[in-house]
Amino acid sequence: MIIEYHRPNTVEEALKLIARKDVQTKPIGGGTAFSRNQEDPVAVVDLQDLDINQIKDRGTILELGATVTLQDLLEATNIFPELKQTILHEATYNLRQVASIAGTLVAANGRSPFVVALLAMDTQLIIKPDEKIIGLGDFLPLRSDWLKGRLIVDIRFPKNVALKYEYVARSPADQPIVSVAVCRWPSGRIRVALGGFGDAPMCVFDGTESGGAELAAKNAYSHAEDEWASADYRQEVASILTSRAISRLAKK
Amino acid sequence: MEIVLKVNEVEHTVNIKASEHLLKVLRSLGYFGVKHGCETGECGACTVLLDGKPVNSCVMLAAQAEGHQIETIENVGTHPEKGWKTSAGLHVIQQSFVDSGAIQCGYCTPAQVLAAKELLARVPNPTESQIRDALSGVLCRCTGYLKPVQAVLRAAAILRGEDIDPVGKAIPAPPGWSPSEDAGGIRDETIPDSADLLTRTRVMPQIQVTPETEAWTSVGKAEPKVDAFKLVQGKPAFAADLDKRGMLIAKVLRSPHAHALIKSIDTQKALELPGVAAVLTWNDLPRVAYSTAGQSDPIPGPLDSFSLDYKVRFVGDRVAFVAAETEEIAERALDLIDVEYEILPALLDTSVAMQPGAPILHDEPEYVNFADSDPKRNLAAEIRIDIGNVEKGFAEADQIFEGIYEVPKVQQAHIEPHVVVTYWDEDDRLVIRTSTQVPFHVRRQLAPVLNLPLKRIRVIKPRIGGGFGGKQEVLIEDVAAHLTIATGRPVLFEYTREEEFTASRARHPMRIHMKTGIKLDPQDGNAIITASEMYALSDTGAYGCHALTVTGNTGHKSMALYVGDRQYRESPNIRFYADIVYTNHSPAGAYRGYGVPQGFWAVERHMEKIAQQLDLDPLEFRLKNALRAGELHPFSTAWSEGRKPRPETIETCGLEECVRRGKSAIGWEHKYGNESWHRIEKKPYLRRGIGVALVMQGTAIPYLDMGGASIKMNDDGSFNLLIGATDLGTGSDTVLAQMASEVLGVRIEDMIVYSSDTDFTPFDKGAYASSTTYISGAAVVNAAQQVAELIKKRAALMFNEKILEMENEDGRDFDNPALMPQDIRLIDRKAYSPDGQFVTFSEIGHHSLHHADQEQIMGVGSYMSKVAPPPFAAQFAEVTIDVETGQVVVDKLVMAVDSGVIVNPLTASGQVEGGMTQALGYAVCEEMRYDDSGVLRERDFRDYHIFMAHEMPELTTIFVETFEPTHPFGVKAVAEIPIDGVAPAVGNAIFDACSVHIDSNPISPEMIWQALRESDK
Repeated sequence: MIIEYHRPNTVEEALKLIARKDVQTKPIGGGTAFSRNQEDPVAVVDLQDLDINQIKDRGTILELGATVTLQDLLEATNIFPELKQTILHEATYNLRQVASIAGTLVAANGRSPFVVALLAMDTQLIIKPDEKIIGLGDFLPLRSDWLKGRLIVDIRFPKNVALKYEYVARSPADQPIVSVAVCRWPSGRIRVALGGFGDAPMCVFDGTESGGAELAAKNAYSHAEDEWASADYRQEVASILTSRAISRLAKK
Repeated sequence: MEIVLKVNEVEHTVNIKASEHLLKVLRSLGYFGVKHGCETGECGACTVLLDGKPVNSCVMLAAQAEGHQIETIENVGTHPEKGWKTSAGLHVIQQSFVDSGAIQCGYCTPAQVLAAKELLARVPNPTESQIRDALSGVLCRCTGYLKPVQAVLRAAAILRGEDIDPVGKAIPAPPGWSPSEDAGGIRDETIPDSADLLTRTRVMPQIQVTPETEAWTSVGKAEPKVDAFKLVQGKPAFAADLDKRGMLIAKVLRSPHAHALIKSIDTQKALELPGVAAVLTWNDLPRVAYSTAGQSDPIPGPLDSFSLDYKVRFVGDRVAFVAAETEEIAERALDLIDVEYEILPALLDTSVAMQPGAPILHDEPEYVNFADSDPKRNLAAEIRIDIGNVEKGFAEADQIFEGIYEVPKVQQAHIEPHVVVTYWDEDDRLVIRTSTQVPFHVRRQLAPVLNLPLKRIRVIKPRIGGGFGGKQEVLIEDVAAHLTIATGRPVLFEYTREEEFTASRARHPMRIHMKTGIKLDPQDGNAIITASEMYALSDTGAYGCHALTVTGNTGHKSMALYVGDRQYRESPNIRFYADIVYTNHSPAGAYRGYGVPQGFWAVERHMEKIAQQLDLDPLEFRLKNALRAGELHPFSTAWSEGRKPRPETIETCGLEECVRRGKSAIGWEHKYGNESWHRIEKKPYLRRGIGVALVMQGTAIPYLDMGGASIKMNDDGSFNLLIGATDLGTGSDTVLAQMASEVLGVRIEDMIVYSSDTDFTPFDKGAYASSTTYISGAAVVNAAQQVAELIKKRAALMFNEKILEMENEDGRDFDNPALMPQDIRLIDRKAYSPDGQFVTFSEIGHHSLHHADQEQIMGVGSYMSKVAPPPFAAQFAEVTIDVETGQVVVDKLVMAVDSGVIVNPLTASGQVEGGMTQALGYAVCEEMRYDDSGVLRERDFRDYHIFMAHEMPELTTIFVETFEPTHPFGVKAVAEIPIDGVAPAVGNAIFDACSVHIDSNPISPEMIWQALRESDK
């Protein structure tokens, strides 16, 4: 249950509140995911006045403030279509208006289309107060540890890459049962992320050429069984979707 | 904390708790147009515009909204008639929603209008996909989204200053759409597909009309819904839209165990919590066994429920009731109730439910049996129906086909949760304002439970935000009523979305065995069904509400469609057996289709397999064996929902014409069996497929369902139409008003419709069994005919007075004798004499109430049917399958329906579109699954996925009218049949695409993948 609401004007004020030991205090961007299953007493720090909602084009990098919304990013002119597709798949129009990028990264489970894409793109997070730069792949499995007393302020991902996204779901807008995002850098680097299962998407391949990516995807889901699909199915489909995504990348 | 909210340009200073969400605060301020549908931001009923952008107020803290501009539906438009004060009227978007038939229950309409308003401010000329994306945040369970999308397209065109066709305008029929010999004229209501839009701004379905309807002025016309104005403005029309001084909030403590005895329960700490007004346990309440199924007396099922019991039978079952000053206090009080359980073995598998040694759910001595229920064997109901000589039929068959089919448990998922307000009125009568489909059953069934005489209970049914059978249940009213009795104060009880999944009702899951005997017809090479048999094992969950009647209809409708041909047609051999067993799952109950979708999944998949294995044309095979007009409904002599069966002849059947129209609309001849169409260029892993299912339903329950209506005339020639019928969003108030206005010769806006209130409106059994248009409609016609007679008498009196006056004045002697009532015709609010003279209805109203021989012109009618004429339909589906992953995408659904005469093409086609959409979920994604402890997997709209605006296939509705002679306007039912055929049609289309049979729904990608793998071996 939410017991306090704060709306600081500076990042420093927000960090002070978040660092409090006596009251469990958490930041909220849009708050859309925060309302789900919040049972422990908690104070919230609303980040809307912190002025961290800009999208900055920094050469080959796109830098997003933590409170940039999914809709802001969708409407940005300088992102590629398949990333837009994952945003559309991530949330409905209403939710995209307020759901922040950072909040989505914090709350997402393995079935998140957008986070699968960002993971494939080797997205980096800038966390205060220690100004750490953390890879999304390192952040996702240990989110609660990383965020103790800390705040994501920026998210960065490369612009000069190519991304392909594939998924299988019960209906076009349903949560994926298996999803695959494959990102290729101009250097030839290929990175594959899988979603549709577990607490967070996982990076299963990061190499200089695509050989072995399908097998890596298949192996990564060897235990990916839950109430929504068997591991056998996920293994097979992860491999197929990876192959398709790589094939589409090859066609440019 | 104190915050300032700026709502619709008005600043409100409010004291709130940090945890309070914007939805709750806005509603507490009286903005009732903001609706509660969930608590997790998935349904969007709570949409408001925040700085012009649509957001979900249920997941936004009120404090987050401070400093922003909030706009609610109350700011958008108003009724154009506001007395002396000029009004701008409705917003163009609102008017378009009204005109286009985009409003059904209206619960999500304010949210859709706001989403559309934001879109059109941003994009004046939106594409269909932009509109669908804008509406993606608002779930609608009624419409299938087609008409809301069309409404936005029309509004956008109007706002751009373009001319658009009026709704309902007919255009010339295209080539090939020629009338059939027996069907009368053709009214094609589509427009040419001139744009690349999937959806056109024309909103009418295709209708093949019967000749009888041509002269009518109201029936058959696309009239706007009579409740559309208030719904589109978000007026406080629903049960929860009420603010009573001192109202308490109720919450229910629910069982964490699937099966347990309550050894002790300590409420002391909860009672001591400040703000708690009452805590009730089973110890506090009278122990009255009853059924929660809202049905006529006597209830055709066991009495096996108690308001509160010492035993819990599913995870989510009731343990205690709390009433407190606020929701937060009530929830804290639940945590303070200390319950000690003795956990019992749980029964979670229907296949062992009747085996010796299985845990027994109902061992209470108060249990009251109905028919063959046997709680000692966990048997809630048993059905054994034999028609003809089934064994002889099988013996005469050349081949026997058998198969096992499974259907899942699914949720009605109406966007308005179950909600009720109870209070004592000034006469100490208990008022129950509730979102129910069955207000009169609620009153009758609750009276003994509350220990109140029936006459001391008044049930008010305001607008309902969807029900689909889920509100044909006395599910929540007792909770609030007990708490009002305990505290003397008004009580509001509203389900959360999680409670809707865990603690309401759902469609019965079943395992169905089919067996069919087939003999080749030497004359035409086709196949004849010699005998057919269905056995259904149905899971009623913890209580037997609707157990017998739902599963009875599984066989009664689906097994009746195929009777066989030649001598078998004359004497069909059909067997339907079913066992409906208790388990420790949440109870099943009524859900649109009422058992029939389960039956048709099995029957239509089975028919397809037979056709395929015998290399028969699937449609010719079906039609050869299908029931026809003039034949006896085979089940009518065998079963009638636990009552005495009576023979019933099928008077009308447009099935063949439905097949013909549907085939043409979907392009069957070009696609079915066409290998080149099945494959998609450059996508070798994709396959297209096309499938069909034929279905029938019923119209009301014969010799049982009764509806009443009263009509009274006012001074100005308007009429109050009071009906007990329950419009749960289907538009029944509107079609009943159309029938009344047709009989009375007035316009629909002259009918002031009120439904329903047990104190003021005549009895009606309620909204279920596809009965309202037929049963309640006939009652309305009866009442209207009485009123029409009185009007004619009055008009004759007035004409004769005039004649006498003239004779007296100038001594003229008129040749014609005094006018008789039968000489009078009622047209356009006037009563005409044969020579063209008329008196207006206003003059008649004034004359009857004020001037001479004063009387109240009014009529009361009721109707009970001796028959249940079935509607018929052909459902087609087109799919694309990814044969490597099993992904299935449904591209197109076409339904051609014979529902008799269509009273209102807009509301009727809305029923078909919405029904097909619900059924689409049944086909591919909706199901409720439990773990080994009886805990439900799906508890919100994230996991329980219902189709959204931006992922819909193309929907086409075709009406093939027949004139059902048993009804004054020739109608049959339309509400339920759209949900029967989509799943098997999709299953059959999947076989067409990739040659694998899937016998369980919903059809998941993994099922197809697995089946394809096995077929490769």
